[in-house]
Amino acid sequence: MATYLVRRAIFGVLTLVVITCFVYGLARNMPGTPLTVQLGETDPSRKFNPEDLERLKRIYGLDKPWPVGYVQWLANVARGDLGRSISRKQPVATLIADRVGPTFLISGTALVLAWLAAIPLGLYASARSGRADERISSLVLYVLYSFPTFVAALFLQIIFAVWLRGTAWELPLFGMSDLPPDAALPARIGDVARHMILPVTCQTYVSLAYDSRFIRANMEEAVRQDYIRTARAKGAGPWRVLFRHAFRNTLIPLVTLLGLSLPGLIGGSVIIEQIFTWPGMGRLFFESIRERDYPTIMGLTLMFSVLTLLGQLLADLLYCAVDPRVSVE
Amino acid sequence: MNMATRPAGFWGDAWRRFRRRPLAVAALTFVGGLALVALLSPAIAGTKPVLCRYKGRIYAPCLGYFDRRLEPAVFTRDRFRGTYPRNLEEKDPESWAVWPLVFQDPYRSVRADEWPGTAANPAKDEGRPSRRNLFGTDQAGVDVFAKMVHGTTIALLVGFVSMGIAGTIGIVVGALGGYFGGWIDMLTSRITEIVMCVPTLVLILAVIALIEKPTIWHTMAIIGATGWTGIARLTRGEFLRLKGAEFVLAARAAGAGPWRIMLRHILPNALAPVLVPITFGIASAVLLESSLSFLGFGPPPPTASWGSILNDARSNLAMWWLVVFPGIAIFLTVLAYNLIGEALQESTDPRLREARK
Repeated sequence: MATYLVRRAIFGVLTLVVITCFVYGLARNMPGTPLTVQLGETDPSRKFNPEDLERLKRIYGLDKPWPVGYVQWLANVARGDLGRSISRKQPVATLIADRVGPTFLISGTALVLAWLAAIPLGLYASARSGRADERISSLVLYVLYSFPTFVAALFLQIIFAVWLRGTAWELPLFGMSDLPPDAALPARIGDVARHMILPVTCQTYVSLAYDSRFIRANMEEAVRQDYIRTARAKGAGPWRVLFRHAFRNTLIPLVTLLGLSLPGLIGGSVIIEQIFTWPGMGRLFFESIRERDYPTIMGLTLMFSVLTLLGQLLADLLYCAVDPRVSVE
Repeated sequence: MNMATRPAGFWGDAWRRFRRRPLAVAALTFVGGLALVALLSPAIAGTKPVLCRYKGRIYAPCLGYFDRRLEPAVFTRDRFRGTYPRNLEEKDPESWAVWPLVFQDPYRSVRADEWPGTAANPAKDEGRPSRRNLFGTDQAGVDVFAKMVHGTTIALLVGFVSMGIAGTIGIVVGALGGYFGGWIDMLTSRITEIVMCVPTLVLILAVIALIEKPTIWHTMAIIGATGWTGIARLTRGEFLRLKGAEFVLAARAAGAGPWRIMLRHILPNALAPVLVPITFGIASAVLLESSLSFLGFGPPPPTASWGSILNDARSNLAMWWLVVFPGIAIFLTVLAYNLIGEALQESTDPRLREARK
């Protein structure tokens, strides 16, 4: 087990180095630098004169070729320093710490809601397999699964922010809160909750559709096993068979799926956060690419890759933990 | 051997099962319909005649919508400037023309009296759907129906081209790793893992920014170059499973080399399960392209893409027709590919077959 973990860790670090090197090279070779992109777009007359630009480039270490810059970045990361954002004048770690909360608020809520609904739905579908009501509910879930989130988000925005404007049902279009930061706490919580409704809905329905289909597919696999026939033969009731015998055995792939959703939980969704201008990680990522903010791009890439690798490792380990037939070797 | 009693082959059998699923057949018909729309797009909506007779010769100016070079040079020489109805009449009274079903252009607004007796397209947020503009017009007055008809080509091509690339890479990488094992497997598995970890969106945005003149083909190539990991993993698994099969042993005993075994013996048997993620991949490629266009990173302006129409809607949500029509088109296309993929899975996987009988 220990050798396995060490081997995984070594490969994980190697993978991270390859990915970050690749992304760093790509980012540095994009046209424009964080110093020129922003100013040039807003006001051409405010561009730096060449000497200032050279001086700033030296300060930020952009005057050297990118492999040198990469090695420096890597050395800083090894010392636990993610660097400072160029366009936001803040440490990258602080930026990320500020954005994790809002993202988690949406993705965490969506994850819990989706699982709370998906497990009963999946069990219901497998219990009533083949009947008319199950077919209809499965079809609806399937349609939801294929419905693009950004289209759904726009539909919801049109309905709740344009058509229902001025009614009690009106929901805010953008952002996380309209109230000033010094407003009373209960009012602020209510306000944030109102802002959360649409993005959470968008994020929940897709996972709900996917998860319940996943549970159902695994249940179908499980109910065909011999031990289910044995359980039925010894006289267990249909619900007992479903819960105690079949569902418990589908927990293995479920746990794996949960492990793989780790990066999304922290990384957020670029599109949803972009549409609802939610101040989360996905939006930070998108903005940092547009601003050519290399330190932030790299910090987020590193975090995202680490989470993906951790999620995979977690999934593999959990798989071994719950299924004694599988061994890490 | 009597043909009538010959049992259906694997694919014949799969097709028989596929046909029994009405939704899947409907989805396949829908995709076929899209292909037809894409192929006939200049004849459905356009401002250039499908066929016309001009100064004694017959031309098909509508082909200019596929490629500008296909538009006959005579019309440029005679200074038509893209406006056909009046010019044809004035410059050659003998001429006749067969017009597209809908006289609207996907790239520009139709001017007043361009088609004798009609008003100009409404612009700004005035262009709600009407008899003339079936799906309304956008801020610049361009007809949304025409844009969508001409955008069908992209929606179809994106899926097939990018998954063609992804399928080829995935099958080759997976087959090499699964068949040879050892250090080759080690290498290919690591590469797959690395590509899985690279955030797709960063990669796509960065590469698009790097290319001087990004076209839709670049987007397709990048989607293909990043979307092969699932296919590779599955192919690897299939090859691992099949390389120990008896028919492979028989082929090896008969003296077949590794390439022949991989191509002729294992691949045909591994193809069915691999086709399933490819079909689902087409759905996600369509989704990815439209979300990129939606975020403003689609093909450059004159090219019409369903996602870019949605992007126009973001600045003014009151123009609901800019959301509803392209949104439903994207949704139906994704749904169709998903339905086809699922039907393919259930009709080719013998384990699922037993359950349904």
